[in-house]
Amino acid sequence: MSDLATALVFWPAAAFMLVTALYVFRTSSMARAGLLLLAALGIEGLIFLALASEFLGVLLLLMMSGEMVIMVFFMVMFMADPGGLMGMDMTHDKRRSAGAAVAVTAALAALALATDWPAAVMDDGGRGSRGSGRDVQQIGFEIMGRSMFTFLFAGVTILFAMVGGILLAKEGGRLGLPTPASEPRDHGAQEA
Amino acid sequence: MSNWTPVAVLAVALGGALCVALLEQVVQGARIAPLALLRGAAATLDAPLTTPHRPDAWLYHLAPPLLLVAAVVTVATVPWAPGFRGIDLSTGVILFAAALAYVTPAVFMAGWGGGSPLAVLGAFRFLALMLAYAMPLAMVLTSVAAPAESLRPAAIVDVQATVPMIVSQPLAFALFVPSAMAVALLAPFDLAHARTEMGGGAFRHYTGVHAGLIALAQRMLVLGVAGMTAALFLSGWHGPVLPPAAWMVLKTAIVAALMLYAGRVLPRPPLDWLLAWAWKAAIPAAIGVIVWAALVTLLFY
Repeated sequence: MSDLATALVFWPAAAFMLVTALYVFRTSSMARAGLLLLAALGIEGLIFLALASEFLGVLLLLMMSGEMVIMVFFMVMFMADPGGLMGMDMTHDKRRSAGAAVAVTAALAALALATDWPAAVMDDGGRGSRGSGRDVQQIGFEIMGRSMFTFLFAGVTILFAMVGGILLAKEGGRLGLPTPASEPRDHGAQEA
Repeated sequence: MSNWTPVAVLAVALGGALCVALLEQVVQGARIAPLALLRGAAATLDAPLTTPHRPDAWLYHLAPPLLLVAAVVTVATVPWAPGFRGIDLSTGVILFAAALAYVTPAVFMAGWGGGSPLAVLGAFRFLALMLAYAMPLAMVLTSVAAPAESLRPAAIVDVQATVPMIVSQPLAFALFVPSAMAVALLAPFDLAHARTEMGGGAFRHYTGVHAGLIALAQRMLVLGVAGMTAALFLSGWHGPVLPPAAWMVLKTAIVAALMLYAGRVLPRPPLDWLLAWAWKAAIPAAIGVIVWAALVTLLFY
């Protein structure tokens, strides 16, 4: 795509992405919040595609759909008011969290502007040449090389979080109330 | 990408959806009646839209278009013929999985937005199914990409010129077909929206254009999934005598017919049985498939 076409896609899409991201925090429904976040991240994936970062764009579209759907699933499971019908306020400790959000945003923006980004790896748009999968290859070497420890650490952390989430979902749930007789201890035992 | 690519993709998707609908009549043992099909479609489109009086009605209205977009992109990623370029990315297989991944939010939005007990239950059933089946699907896609050393579907077809992937990786095929059928909303995995069991489930309130879009998207999903099965496992357009595109059409039609036939003859399994098999058998087996793919690639390709 030409620079003008890219810009015409990028700026409206970026604005739309920010609006959907903002509305994630304006709604009190778990399902709506999760789906709005999916919309924001899906648009981000489309922006990556428009910027010719094919692999990251497609991967973002794939992963975010699955992850946001899982998030909706867990939020509806855990929250007292999943449909947002009681107008529950989801924000806590407003002044400090707003301050932290502004500080982190400013820091990330400064980092983004200060970083010496590599020039765009423009291939032929994937028209059959051997070099067109180059960004995939570069990401592969990055993951299996310098960044391997980071990714392994993140992966194990996420695994612990998932196991923890399932433990919370079992038995008495997040409030820790023991419910010995009210429901079967183990659903697997019923199959046997 | 020429200017005609979107037109060609839409023509393939619409024409293919019509063919899938005719194939359904064949599989059901009914007379092939294209006119009756069109009359039925016209009657569906003629009905007025229903709007549930719920806070999330906008999700309900967005779900059918999202499902249709996912279905069209799925069809567009399939390599239909050597020269055909739908969406021909070097990461096309991942785009295929990504397009299918948006079926889940679409069904969830349909059920949650519909808001009645059976619709919400259908939505959550589909969520549970897809969390279990998306993993084997994605893992199998990486295993067929390994021998081709490419995520481009056309390259995966080319590497099967001598040996189709179903021969070198039979377990991958056995895992891919049921997961793909589940994502394509096909019986017997239609626990989220079965007419008989759930009264339409997640889709039960849709009428008019909504219902038409969903029916169209379902046929397109069958087309895309059957086409991708033919391309990734049955050596796609390779074959003697006939032109490449004809082989692709033939293989896709056979796969689609078998999938529809399986839905006719197999009983609908209970949800917990399906989930137990997915988590305890299919996902570990998919890890084995990846190891097998690596061995096959190192030794033979």
